[in-house]
Amino acid sequence: MDLSQRLLGATFQSPVLLASGTCGYGEEYASLIPLDEIGGLVTKAVSLEPRPGNPPHRVAETPGGMINAIGLQNVGLERFRSEKLPWLRENLRSASVLINVVGHSAEDYEAVVSGLDSDDGFLGYEINVSCPNVKDGTLFGTDEQALSALVNGLRALTERPLVVKLTPNVPDIGVYARICEEAGADGLSAINTFPGMLIDVEGRRPVIGNVSGGVSGPAILPMGVYLTWRAAAVVSIPVIGIGGIRSGSDALQYILAGASLVQVGTALFVDPSAPVQVQAGIAEYMERHDVARVADLVGALTIPGRD
Amino acid sequence: MTAPVRAWGRVLERRKAAADTFWIEVDCPSIAEHARPGQFVMLGTGLSDVAAPFLPRPFSIGAREADGRLGFLVRVFGAGTRRLSAVAPGDDLLMLGPLGQPFSLPAERSIVCLAGGVGLAPFLFVGAEARSDGREVRIVYGERTGDRVFDPELIRRITGVEPDLRTEDGSLGRRGLVIDDLDLDDRPQLLACGPDPMLRACNDLALRHDLPLQVSVEEHMGCGVGTCQGCVVLSAEGEWIKSCTEGPVFDARELAWI
Repeated sequence: MDLSQRLLGATFQSPVLLASGTCGYGEEYASLIPLDEIGGLVTKAVSLEPRPGNPPHRVAETPGGMINAIGLQNVGLERFRSEKLPWLRENLRSASVLINVVGHSAEDYEAVVSGLDSDDGFLGYEINVSCPNVKDGTLFGTDEQALSALVNGLRALTERPLVVKLTPNVPDIGVYARICEEAGADGLSAINTFPGMLIDVEGRRPVIGNVSGGVSGPAILPMGVYLTWRAAAVVSIPVIGIGGIRSGSDALQYILAGASLVQVGTALFVDPSAPVQVQAGIAEYMERHDVARVADLVGALTIPGRD
Repeated sequence: MTAPVRAWGRVLERRKAAADTFWIEVDCPSIAEHARPGQFVMLGTGLSDVAAPFLPRPFSIGAREADGRLGFLVRVFGAGTRRLSAVAPGDDLLMLGPLGQPFSLPAERSIVCLAGGVGLAPFLFVGAEARSDGREVRIVYGERTGDRVFDPELIRRITGVEPDLRTEDGSLGRRGLVIDDLDLDDRPQLLACGPDPMLRACNDLALRHDLPLQVSVEEHMGCGVGTCQGCVVLSAEGEWIKSCTEGPVFDARELAWI
């Protein structure tokens, strides 16, 4: 039985990665997750300059998940290179690392990618496009022209795998998936969090300091599976499925919908052993169904009456 | 600080200790072994408990016994604490800990713990440890109403300390707040845990008397281990700092008191 997946010019020893923003820079979970036994991890977002982040509350429980508005607090490019990347380089042998990149302008993103590209210790980039563009305030990921220009620009700067993390906040994710593919992306991550809001009715005020935030966790699993299926159907580059995965069976829904890899995120907070449990669940399913390779399951959904 | 451990702990005892308030003892030697007063544990019911609230919740360690038992004070505030307070002996809880920075207790001073509501929890552990080290320790404990006062007999049993009780309605102990009528002549180390307005009042008290103060803060938490950066508080330098790994215990001078 082969859990490994070859894509993005690399071999992932398992299809299970840790999602950006939930595993820090790896080190925080080193005693709790056998990082070198999973497929890999996506770092917390790295921006050109350090970001202070939002006022509290930054997180809260929602039905079947959580809402967060951290504000992409991070140490910035230079401190990431000097303080965080060395740990990943020295401690991860068989897990692959994607660095999540954010910016307020195309130039910001380009500066981060240029600044990292000659360093060792990571495979490629996951580009977070769920960020407002300072030019007009729209999200890169919801603006067809800006998204195309951003990915084109980054493509010219690096030979490394370039994965774009799509926002679900668009009428048809397929349109944006194709834009990324045409602009030279090597893969897609589907999906980022859904915008949401909670209100403290006793205090008549928003629960989250930033007023609104991103909703993640099991509550968004069906939306994530659907959007992964939509995106995978219209592109030939690999798709990484994300959203509410906490079991092997959850991960398999994404894989059957067309995801080549999956990311486990919020479930880590409930149980740091979640990625290992997800991996074991996939292996158990493959054994039970006599499937030799994970690749044989990717997109293996059949729709009665249509296939 | 030792690396945190993820472990299932068996609930050994659950007893009602006040209105909506329970004392829960869990067998978890791997976490108990390294636990220090002021540290906390994330408590949850795990991924397969689909009916439960999703995220685990942080709880100060209220007691640590030599046999590997940990004690937690659980008061029902919302869905998460309601689920956790409903456990029965024999149930298993998923635990992550010990987490965070403990109190540091200077040898040259006596210790005065200022506890508001569930802020009592860490001081049960502080009291027991300080007593067993032969330290002088006082626990000044306040609640709004007498029915919410955590069973004083249980406080005595856990800590060996006779609590100095205060209630705002005067129905149990002295009427008033934990900062009222304190004898601070021996210039003690102050420790405080409770609601924000109480912590601010304790900070004012410490400044007025020029006494050292450590506070244990509470903020909504996601991961408990420093990755999600959800649980920040504002530092004196104006930066958001994580209460899970840099706290929950801070020297009061490290924080912005706005």
